[in-house]
Amino acid sequence: MRTRVLLTLAVLATPVAAQDFAPDAIAFYEDQVKPVLRRNCVACHNAKNRTSGFSLASREHVLEGGNRGPGFSPEAPASSVLLKAVQHESDLKMPPTGKLKDADLAVLTRWVEMGLPWPKTEVSADFGKPKHWAFQPVRQPEPPGSGHAIDAFILKKLRENGIQPSPEADRATLLRRVSFDLTGLPPTSAEVDAFLKDPSQDAYEKAVDRMLASPQYGERWARHWLDLARYADSNGYNLDHEREIWKYRDWVIEAYNRDMPFDRFVIEQIAGDLLPEPTEDRLVATGFHRNTLLNLEGGIDFEQYRVDAVADRVDTTGAVFLGLTLGCARCHDHKYDPISQREYYQLYAFFNNIDELSGEWGEAGRRRAHEPLLFFGTSEEKAKKAAIRAQLAALEAELNEYKKALDPNMAEWEDGLTADEKAKLRPDIQFILSIPRGERNEIMTTALGGVFYKTDPGYQQRQEAIRAVSKLEPKLTSTMIMRELPEPRPAFIHLGGDFLRPGIGVRPDVPRALPALARQDRAPNRLDLAQWLVDPANPLTARVTVNRVWQRLFGRGLVDTENDFGTQGSKPTHPELLDWLAAEFAGDWSQKKLIRRIVTSAAYKQSSKARPELSDRDPYNELIARQSRLRLEAEIVRDAALAASGLLHLAVGGKSVFPPQPKGASKLGQVQRDIVVSDGPDKFRRGMYTHFWRSAPDPNLMVFDAPDTTTTCTRRSRSNTPLQALTLLNDEGYFEMAGALAARMTREVPEGGQARLRHGFRLCMAREPEAEEVARLERFFKQQLDAAPEDESRAWLQVARVFLNLDEFITRE
Amino acid sequence: MAGDDRLLQRTRRHFFRDCGVGLGKAALASMFASSMPAAAPRGPHFPAKAKSVIFLFMAGGPSQFELFDFKPDLERYDGKVCPQEFLEGKRFAFMETFTQEPPRLLGPTRKFQRYGESGRYVSELLPHTARVVDDLAFVTTIRTDNFNHAPAKIFMNTGAIRFGRPSMGSWVTYGIGSEAKDLPGFVVLKSGPRGPRGGTLNWGSGFLPTSYQGVPFQSGGDPILNLSAPDRFAGTPQRQLLETVQDLNRARLAATGDPEIETRINAYEMAYRMQTAGPELIDFSKESPKTLEMYGAEPGSSSFANNCLLARRLVERGVRFVQLYHTDWDHHGGPVTNLQQGLDDVCREIDRPTMALIRDLKQRGLLDSTLVVWGGEFGRTPMGERRETIGRNHHIEAFTMWFAGAGIQAGQTIGETDEFGFFPVKDKVHVHDVQATILHLLGLDHTKLTFRFQGRDFRLTDVHGELIQGLLA
Repeated sequence: MRTRVLLTLAVLATPVAAQDFAPDAIAFYEDQVKPVLRRNCVACHNAKNRTSGFSLASREHVLEGGNRGPGFSPEAPASSVLLKAVQHESDLKMPPTGKLKDADLAVLTRWVEMGLPWPKTEVSADFGKPKHWAFQPVRQPEPPGSGHAIDAFILKKLRENGIQPSPEADRATLLRRVSFDLTGLPPTSAEVDAFLKDPSQDAYEKAVDRMLASPQYGERWARHWLDLARYADSNGYNLDHEREIWKYRDWVIEAYNRDMPFDRFVIEQIAGDLLPEPTEDRLVATGFHRNTLLNLEGGIDFEQYRVDAVADRVDTTGAVFLGLTLGCARCHDHKYDPISQREYYQLYAFFNNIDELSGEWGEAGRRRAHEPLLFFGTSEEKAKKAAIRAQLAALEAELNEYKKALDPNMAEWEDGLTADEKAKLRPDIQFILSIPRGERNEIMTTALGGVFYKTDPGYQQRQEAIRAVSKLEPKLTSTMIMRELPEPRPAFIHLGGDFLRPGIGVRPDVPRALPALARQDRAPNRLDLAQWLVDPANPLTARVTVNRVWQRLFGRGLVDTENDFGTQGSKPTHPELLDWLAAEFAGDWSQKKLIRRIVTSAAYKQSSKARPELSDRDPYNELIARQSRLRLEAEIVRDAALAASGLLHLAVGGKSVFPPQPKGASKLGQVQRDIVVSDGPDKFRRGMYTHFWRSAPDPNLMVFDAPDTTTTCTRRSRSNTPLQALTLLNDEGYFEMAGALAARMTREVPEGGQARLRHGFRLCMAREPEAEEVARLERFFKQQLDAAPEDESRAWLQVARVFLNLDEFITRE
Repeated sequence: MAGDDRLLQRTRRHFFRDCGVGLGKAALASMFASSMPAAAPRGPHFPAKAKSVIFLFMAGGPSQFELFDFKPDLERYDGKVCPQEFLEGKRFAFMETFTQEPPRLLGPTRKFQRYGESGRYVSELLPHTARVVDDLAFVTTIRTDNFNHAPAKIFMNTGAIRFGRPSMGSWVTYGIGSEAKDLPGFVVLKSGPRGPRGGTLNWGSGFLPTSYQGVPFQSGGDPILNLSAPDRFAGTPQRQLLETVQDLNRARLAATGDPEIETRINAYEMAYRMQTAGPELIDFSKESPKTLEMYGAEPGSSSFANNCLLARRLVERGVRFVQLYHTDWDHHGGPVTNLQQGLDDVCREIDRPTMALIRDLKQRGLLDSTLVVWGGEFGRTPMGERRETIGRNHHIEAFTMWFAGAGIQAGQTIGETDEFGFFPVKDKVHVHDVQATILHLLGLDHTKLTFRFQGRDFRLTDVHGELIQGLLA
């Protein structure tokens, strides 16, 4: 057996070994060629770096070549890529710093002409450096102490630095914090009262479990996920048409509420369509990677924008699951991380086979630009829709025939036009008529035809019939999904990131620096990639995910660069804790348990009060010696005001809605849209249901740093600007909410006075006001009342406005 | 009353005594609880020539052949099929109209005449602009990377075709802040029949903090969204409310020590000042009738003329970057957007106000410290495009922009195109070079104005950009 293997190897190796070069040829290589290569080439083109996929470490490597194919062609040495590159005769000019000296060039030319003599195959494998921490397998460290494991890790590090943790936040603050973090809503007064009065040991845990079980938990955490998914309700670019994909948004909410295991959550979103049973739900889930932009501008090449969308899927997959900045490798090998350009396009190949708008579809593709789509409805409705579509197609075909039959009469019609009739036509039609018939092009003839046909009664009747039938088509809800092409599109390296400059072809695969794909007897597809992402051997997905959850709950991750776990990213502040969390998480893939684990730690429950004594030693609070005050996210600012005012309508899911917007806001894009404000309870839905136009999003969301949804957003910024102040002070919606809050205070505390004031404060801040705060508010109320004694409700409105404008109101402390 | 004063005193005392020391560091730590470098303006790299920029963005891509790049030779070839060697390997928008019939060259459709001491050719469409031609420096060989509107606009503004990068105005205000105390540092004004393609992303801040994004102003009604209360609450007093909010915020600052609250207090102060400064800004009543007439401005309308006057008023108030979008220059030869009436109309809309802006800045001594930039996302082809009417297609190989003010060498033309105006034959200039030069005039080195994001230092000019030396005095 053993002998046979050796024999086979020997046979295979023969072609290389057979390349025996004369001793003087080898000497020429050693003495003349090698120094030139060493001085000019191998710093980049060695076996390890393989810049642009190309290595000069062995003759084999040169023959194998790089992203542009083989470096040396034995049949036509003179046109070898290697030679062309050093001669600076093609677009590839090597070395990039300047052309070689003539003497060096002559040496390389001679060498290539000799057939590339090389002593023997030797590949220098320079992997001397230890593997970057994030690419090492996740360990399962023991917590360094008893009690809550998270606290054991945190306290150990604090102790090492001689720092005491902060005391626990007061109970009201704690309840408000965890309520915002888990549900995105402030606690109700009843919840606050019950919590403050509950003497049991596990009062806090009970509250946490109640919140995790509420539907609002799913909304809150789905919104975080939608940031990553770059979810929006329109296509982006200039025309920015509406798209229907809210079913995907609802799928995410539902998945969180059911605590779908994270591995399934990932697999269904990346490749639900490729699962053995692609149920309706699983197809909806694939909307994740259909949230890419779609350009429908006139005169474009659809292929270019399909390529951009595919690249965005690679970049998003990298940032969301792997914490890698793959995008760098779209145009060239990654400068810092072990991701070559070839590997980028191997990942690209996974996402390249969607049956979606592409160059091949041509202009006709415009009419079905959102496909593939999944329609919802009864089978009768779907059948009716299909039947009507078929009927319309037939009617349109008949109309085209009819138009053709009319065409011979067009000249006669034109000649019969009187000067008066001509003068009444549109200026462009008059212009076309001024051009001799033979010199008009198709567009002109079509435009003229459009006017001519309308004069024919038969044409009018047919048009009317089409209109009537199309009105019968059932309007079924749809959602954008993934569907694989029967035959994969060929994938190439795009030289310099330009899809018009194809390099060598690539097959789908994952980067070499990470564990290999499970072997299959067929070409790997998206499902293999999805399973690989959540494979226990994958060192990144679990770490990246727990880190981002940590970031949502503390304001920053254990790895600060949440989207870059590569060599340029920051190192974890608590590497053992990160791995412990990742290992626990990968044990059951339960996001609810992970979140519960974190929010029940003493580290999470600490006060967020600043500690000036640590401002030198730990200015960034990396040791987690306290919690952080965090301004609420854009949607939650609005939700908090809706909740305090009692207006909030807690319906989960459904079509996006249009709360009131400042005048003119919807007209900032190319298409000047008039927003019809939702009425009834839809006006008061949570911020996450606000319809998102990518080119003219609701300014009240954007002013509080909602992501622009063009690319994945793994962390929102938290700016603090005058425009935020103007929104809370003057926006129509906030006036309305303040009015409702004042009315609620009046209704719930009819006796008025300080009690009403305190009640309003509690509704907004979920705590009792300090005596000084009450005094200041009373003084303000009196001022307002004095100014207009006949209108007490106005004074209460003003008080309510004060509440909604406080920093504390829009901050989770 | 006494209680309130105690609160205030306690707050201030606490603030200075307990929080004063180390506040700066803590503030930094909290604002950038991340790897982001400090987001506060970092100041210029070298003395600036310009304090402000007014960018007149001609959205849609104006035809250089009808305005500034006079090609008498093109007249001779009018109607001839464009030589194949020019088209080899080139991609155009609307390829289908070019494949239906071979594209034919189209001679200039307007008459040109020499103006000013510089004797520069300007077309009959811009008689007013022609009067200030000696104050302008033209570059006729600008190249861009994409031939579709939205990506090309984003490219001009952000240096990347990909959406979501910071725009020039954001980079500038991030780099050197603004001198305006009660107005945003980066203001956007729009006029014309539609909004610019790409929408708010044209003035977005990308990965820079959102405080650097452009703020769209409207020249009618409220200049800024939410600048005043809704009509039915008009006149609701604000000052006492603001003072109450500020006092309570100070109390919270004392209780938590979070310097973010201090920033919020400042933001509310600025918002309050904006409520006065905004209406004052758009109130043209103190402008002389002569000035209004020079611009052709009519109070209350949202015209390019009004926006030019607003731009001057913004610059006077220290606003750093003002961008005016005027649509629509996309003259393909459609029923309306064509080189006939369509071009006439849009030129009439911008011509007089443009001249007035240059004159007005000059007579007020502001032109020396203000850079005015004029141009679109690309130009138009030497070949005509025959649709319902006559137009030209998008052209990215060479198009014209002009610059004025900021001490640049006016009265000259940089670059030369071939006899068809297809390619540059001298002094190629790329959009990244334009961006580098604008930053340079503001005292910023485009290679040093960077922001670290996703493990990489980003800049407006990516890894490109050379200064347009001929422009610099």
